This record gives sequence, structure tokens and C-alpha cells, in this order.
Amino acid sequence: RCRMEASCLELALEGERLCKAGDCRAGVSFFEAAVQVGTEDLRTLSAIYSQLGNAYFYLHEYAKALEYHHHDLTLARTIGDLLGEAKASGNLGNTLKVLGNFEEAIVCCQRHLDISRELNDKVGEARALYNLGNVYHSKGKNVANAGTHDPGELPDDVKNALQKAAKYYEENLSIVTELGDRAAQGRAFGNLGNTHYLLGNFRSAVLAHEQRLLIAKEFGDRSAERRAYSNLGNAYIFLGEFETAAEYYKRTLQLARQLMDRAVEAQACYSLGNTYTLLQDYEKAIDYHLKHLVIAQELHDKIGEGRACWSLGNAYTALGNHDQAIHFAGRHLEISREVGDRSGELTARLNLSDLQMVLGLSYSTNNSMMAESQAVENSLNGGRPRGRRYSMENMELMKLTPEKVPNWN
Amino acid sequence: SQPLAGGQAAELQSKVVPSKQIIHSDNMEMEPETMETKSVTDYFSKLHMGSLVYSCTSKRKNK
Repeated sequence: RCRMEASCLELALEGERLCKAGDCRAGVSFFEAAVQVGTEDLRTLSAIYSQLGNAYFYLHEYAKALEYHHHDLTLARTIGDLLGEAKASGNLGNTLKVLGNFEEAIVCCQRHLDISRELNDKVGEARALYNLGNVYHSKGKNVANAGTHDPGELPDDVKNALQKAAKYYEENLSIVTELGDRAAQGRAFGNLGNTHYLLGNFRSAVLAHEQRLLIAKEFGDRSAERRAYSNLGNAYIFLGEFETAAEYYKRTLQLARQLMDRAVEAQACYSLGNTYTLLQDYEKAIDYHLKHLVIAQELHDKIGEGRACWSLGNAYTALGNHDQAIHFAGRHLEISREVGDRSGELTARLNLSDLQMVLGLSYSTNNSMMAESQAVENSLNGGRPRGRRYSMENMELMKLTPEKVPNWN
Repeated sequence: SQPLAGGQAAELQSKVVPSKQIIHSDNMEMEPETMETKSVTDYFSKLHMGSLVYSCTSKRKNK
């Protein structure tokens, strides 16, 4: 019996070592072997289940994570380990949140909070508050994504969830500030900023992300620094301060290149392309959208490629470069068909027919009645080609699609 | 004059959406989750090592 005990423990210790070293996949094999061997020590088994759950969580295998955190919770309750039960509840809550089961997630995270308070465990209490904030944030965002709402004009249930999230983050902040835990403050400021952003409180969002940035710099945490720049850029867009937004997106781009994260680099280029479109500097917009296109092709991201082509079509149309505009609108149509994006396909068709009409008219002779009426219309519209206005309106379809593209979010 | 794709898009077109909202950002950057951690050595040291230390010290005392 002693040999078996040692063996289970040895396997689990190796699993722990591997997970700490960042090799969760190998760690899982050792933990599962340890479970196979088995142990009569239920606390050891609980620790193994918990670590298996976390390893599967980091591997994005959430159904497995759920299974093991649930085993851990049952076991912790069986042996009357209250701290263990709090921890298992918190982990189960986080997993349920990712799986979109917000109501159960709230119950679990609340249990984590209640036990932490009962045990007068301030660190646990703060962590539970942060988790609760995250669940309400996800819940609010999830409901908001189901509709097509702009920040500031949210339905009541979304607003309630986001306001609760803000409340929990603020409660968390007051505890972790008291505890002097700067890393935890950084996380809370980041997510509080994003909650204010969704609520349409863009000035508050900026203040929170500025704090997040400060703490990221203190720690030399360049990933967190990059996140803060990107979030600041987003908030400044909504404040109508496009130049400032462009500066922050440029810093995001710089860091993404340093960190050699191609997907994030592409996202930064895309944001910059859109920002320069808002600044009506279409040449710069094209420059960044082309950079985005190259990376999207490199990463075999068809949806990103389609978005790039569509943006490029619009920018070239704005510049009156109809040949290039038709080229990219055509590519957008091809890609939309390929990925089965029906609304993209329709948008591309409309853009193409507009462009073909503008081109056809410019090639036809001046004595054509249609050309004359078109010329009159163009002069009334300040000489802008007809296709452009419609294309810019179609840009609003953008916000209906990104949630289908998880790798870009 | 030009139809847009789907009912939702038509609804969007009908209200005046400021141009700055074209990139209503879905690429919000969230902070990482924090998971609670347990370790076999926590319990091992408390249970087994604890009793081992106890038995050693009590043996010493007995000697």
C-alpha cells in the first residue's frame, strides 16, 4: 500500500512541476496517471483534481475543466475542507463563466466570496470579488452581443450586469489597495476600464486604463502595457479624439512587433486603418489596411482577409481610385462566398455594382443623358463618387461580424 | 435607395449612427482570469510531514 501511495504522490508532484514549467499537456498526463493509481488521502486527491481542472482550463478544454473542478468541490465538501471548498467554487465559477453558464457561475463565485468572508480571508475575498466582476462583465457583454447595441444605449439587463461588474471591481480594488497588491490592482483597473467602456463612460474608461498602464510599466509587463494602449485607443475613438487614438494604436503596434505577436500586430494595423479613415487620411488608411491584409493572408485568416479587402475597397473608393476599389471589392465578394458570409457577400455586390456604374459612366460619352445627370449629382455632392456614401454606410455592418471571429478579438 | 443586408442592418441604417462608431470595438483587451491553486505538497507537508516531524521530535524527547 505504501508503494502505491508514493507512486500516486510522485506522479502528482511531477505533474505539478510540469504545469509550473508551462507544459500543461504533459502535466495532465501525470495527474491522470496519479488518479489512475489512486490514493486514500482525499486531500491529495482534491489537490490533484484542482490542478487537473486548472490545467484543462489553460488548455481551453473547458468541459474537462468543469468535470475536475466539480470533483474537487464534491471532495472538499465531503472532507469538510472549507478553504478547499471556497477555492473549488471559485474555479468552478470561472469555468462556468467561460462556458456561458452565467447564473451558475454567479452562485459558485458568491459561495467563494461567502466562505472567504466567513474565514476572514481578505485575499480570498478580493479574488472572489474580481471573479464575480468578471462573470457579470461577461454576462453583460454576452447579452449585448446578441443585439446590435452601441455603447451608451444598452438594454436594462445589460446595463444592470455591467453596473454590478463595476461595483465588484471597485470593491475588489479597495481591498487589494489596502493589501498593497499592485498586480491585482492592475487587473481590476483593466477590467473596470473595459466595463466603463461598454457602459459608455469613456472618460472613466480612460482614467482606469491610465492606472492600468502605470502599473504595467511598474512591473515591466509589456503584454499588459500593450493591452492598456489598445484599450485607451478604443476609448479615445469614442471620445472623438482620433489623433490621440492613433497615437495609442501606434504604441500597441510597436509593442506587438516587439512581442512578435502577428495576430495582435494585424489587429493594431486594422484599428489604425479605421482610425485614419475617420481622420479622412485615406492614404495612411490604405497603408495600414494593406499591412493588415498581408498578415491575415500569412495567418490564413480568411475572415480577416475579407475585412481587409472590404476596408481597402472603401478607402480606394474615397480616393477615387476606382480600379483598385473594384479589385478589392471583387476579392471581398470572392472571400465572402468562400467563408459563407451572406451579409458580406451582399455588401460586396452592392459596392461592386456602384463602382461599376461609376466606372461605366466615366467611360461613356458626354452626350449621354445619364452621364449628364450623374455629373449634376456629383457636383451637388461635392464631386464625390456615388459609391462611396453607400460603402461608408455599409461599414456599419462591421460591428455585426467581429464576434464570429474569435481569433481577432 | 439601397437595401442593406438583413433586418438588423436596415434598422441600423435608419438611425443616425455617428461615423466614429464604425469601429465599435469588439477587440477589447481583458485581463487574465485568476484561478485558485492547490498543491499536493501543501497537504502532504501538513499531514505526512507534520506527523513525521511530530514522531521524530517525540522520539528525540523520549531519548
